[in-house]
Amino acid sequence: MIAPVGAILGLSAVLFGIGVFGFLARRNIILMLVSVEVMLNAVNLSLIGFSAQLDDTRGQVLALFVIAVAAAEAGVGLGLVIALSRNKPGAGVADLTDLKW
Amino acid sequence: MTGHAAAQAVFWYMGAASVASALLAVTRRNPVHSMLWVLSLFMHVAGIFLLLGAEFLAAVQVIVYAGAILIFYLFVLMLLDLPGEVARPRFGRHWPFAAAAGLSFAGLAWLARAGARVSPPADRAKEVAASRGSLSEMGRELFGPFALPFEIASLLLVAAIIGAIVLARRRSATP
Repeated sequence: MIAPVGAILGLSAVLFGIGVFGFLARRNIILMLVSVEVMLNAVNLSLIGFSAQLDDTRGQVLALFVIAVAAAEAGVGLGLVIALSRNKPGAGVADLTDLKW
Repeated sequence: MTGHAAAQAVFWYMGAASVASALLAVTRRNPVHSMLWVLSLFMHVAGIFLLLGAEFLAAVQVIVYAGAILIFYLFVLMLLDLPGEVARPRFGRHWPFAAAAGLSFAGLAWLARAGARVSPPADRAKEVAASRGSLSEMGRELFGPFALPFEIASLLLVAAIIGAIVLARRRSATP
């Protein structure tokens, strides 16, 4: 075992925390979506760490499904961003107040 | 033994570099620079996958994440052409709360990992890993017990493709 599973899970936790911070703090929709990708990557890292530790391939299969979901999320999310920017130029979340009253 | 120590050094380098890349990615002012730091993060995480023996997922990480998803993000970023983005504030006024949320989540997960007492199955760990490649093993899992989730994932991707086309279509094209 090259790396202890605790180190991999800790690394995954730190990356996920950075993604949470980026998602909550950034004001650009595209960068918020990228922060979601960082979080998904952190989850993949912990899945593969468990897979290597338990010597079980199912963790890698689940990580593959997570990658498929990430691709779907990127496609739909960026389609939404393009549709939004057609109505209102720019990609700032602070400008999207049409549903506010 | 030196090979093992070298692999461990590579792991610690990859971990430190991915944390640094992620931090730079969420804090850079220029969105294109953020994307390039995310690319660096994906590459380093792919290196960690390689070290952990997940060769196929390392390749998928490079091809799908770095090659397709990230380029897609860059395309949209350059398509929208945000000239005022660099001048605007990067973070909302609430960013200390966001930092607190991220830190507390990372701290909680860090503490929770102490509860994950996972130990490898004692004797079969080495020989199984040596005898079978991870890719053929994964294929067996994907087309055996995971066949239904695999098909659902393909359905999800088709739904995402159709959804992206419908969402991004020009309004004048609607009947």
